[in-house]
Amino acid sequence: MSVNSHQPHIFVLPEDRANSEIANGFLLNGEVSTHRIQVLGEAGGWHKVLTHFKSQHVSQMDRFPKRFMILLIDFDGRGDRMAEAKGFIPDHLSSRVFVLGAWTEPEDLKRANLGSFETIGRALAKDCREDTYTTWSHDLLRHNSGEIERLRQHVRPILFP
Amino acid sequence: MIRRFYVHNFRCLENFELPVSGKSSVLLIGKNGSGKTTVSFALEILQRIARGTNRVDNLVKPKDFSRGRKDVPMRFEIEVELSSQIYEYVIAFEFPEGFKELRVREEKLAVGGKPVYSREAAQVHLAKTSKGKEAEFRVDWHLVALPIVQEQSQTDPLFIFKQWLARMLILRPIPALITGDSEQETLEPNSQVTDFGAWFAGIVGYAPAAYAKIDEYLKQVMPDMKDIKNPVTGKDSRSLVVQFSSGQGSLLVSLKDLSDGEKCFMICALVLAANDAYAPLLCFWDEPDNYLALSEVGHFVISLRKAFESGGQFISTSHNQEAIRRFSDENTLVLYRNNHLEPTIIRPLSELQVGGDLVDALVRGDLEP
Repeated sequence: MSVNSHQPHIFVLPEDRANSEIANGFLLNGEVSTHRIQVLGEAGGWHKVLTHFKSQHVSQMDRFPKRFMILLIDFDGRGDRMAEAKGFIPDHLSSRVFVLGAWTEPEDLKRANLGSFETIGRALAKDCREDTYTTWSHDLLRHNSGEIERLRQHVRPILFP
Repeated sequence: MIRRFYVHNFRCLENFELPVSGKSSVLLIGKNGSGKTTVSFALEILQRIARGTNRVDNLVKPKDFSRGRKDVPMRFEIEVELSSQIYEYVIAFEFPEGFKELRVREEKLAVGGKPVYSREAAQVHLAKTSKGKEAEFRVDWHLVALPIVQEQSQTDPLFIFKQWLARMLILRPIPALITGDSEQETLEPNSQVTDFGAWFAGIVGYAPAAYAKIDEYLKQVMPDMKDIKNPVTGKDSRSLVVQFSSGQGSLLVSLKDLSDGEKCFMICALVLAANDAYAPLLCFWDEPDNYLALSEVGHFVISLRKAFESGGQFISTSHNQEAIRRFSDENTLVLYRNNHLEPTIIRPLSELQVGGDLVDALVRGDLEP
């Protein structure tokens, strides 16, 4: 079913197809409540994710207070990417928006033998479900730890009731 | 699960092999006329054989030869893995000069590499088994042998393969034709699912616990649904009724009066329940996103993909961007045809160079092997 905008739900805004495929794998985890999460169309670049979020989603998040958003972007090895991304998120929404992504790009996760994008997504969902860091602690993903902690607190109960 | 499916000289499929081995769900994309639905027609021929249609003329016609090429046999080969056992079935048809209808040229069923039976034209050779002797007999060459050869028990590989093939779900539903009325039960719905009522009764009769699965899914997609009833409406006939309820009261709606999209939810619920009750199933659903709201498509596709992760195989076609996005390069196959005189070409999307966004490339018509 489509998500119920008046109940807690999550929108995922991926940068590109690679990130979208990781999200697919996440959804395929048997324990995920898929009717509470919607993966949106690919934005076409990390900056477009942020500008699209600001222009399209900020007002809708104000309208629907039970909406959470995950911005799935590549960090391209940039230490300042997270701060730049956070700059697009209004203060009053900061607790409901999360920024995640590969330290460089998802293709490097494949090259690091973590499997296909769907396999990686499944593994990340398993970590979330089981409260582990098996895949999230990989060199290319560990920079997400702060966001993961927040996700575990706010989003995990929605996706894994 | 299908390990190999090969078709030759059938409509647009020439020397065609469907690369779905090891994949629990697969999406076929391509322009109109590229051959996506023809793949389902080819599978349906094998399904109809297993369901008892054995007159060749009721399965294939001379017009089904690729570009009318009647001097080359039409061939279907399928290799499936069921309970760690490999089943291989081959059937080839030919249309000799002076004949009015096609006949069987060659037929073979092998299990684990050992033949169960083989055949050339009318001559059938039944292999020796632990329970039976080797035998030779003749069959009318206009009849397929698979439905005729008698299995010895429900553990007979012949029975297991035939049942799997017969229970394949090849779905091209036409919701407007679905009424929910039934006079019997079946586990083998037709492709348009006009026998939905009989299928529902069949699944619930076969595995009563399947109702819980149906109920669980439908309550997710239609939260105000209370239950489904299948009351007797006449001698040997029943008609499905769906009850909805909310704080405002309750409402009974005949299945035939549901919207087209809601009927697709119903079909999806039965697919999930069927794969749960008597897996492994192969489900080929031609454009499952038809009739669905855009906000539903992704969830619908993921529900189906997810259900087949633990057993069986789901093959889908689609032109819908939401459906396409819920598959990945590793499980998306692109079908392409230069023109009506050339055969279908199939390539994994992962082998193609897609410049930028896949959906944009499809809109531009740029996706060519």
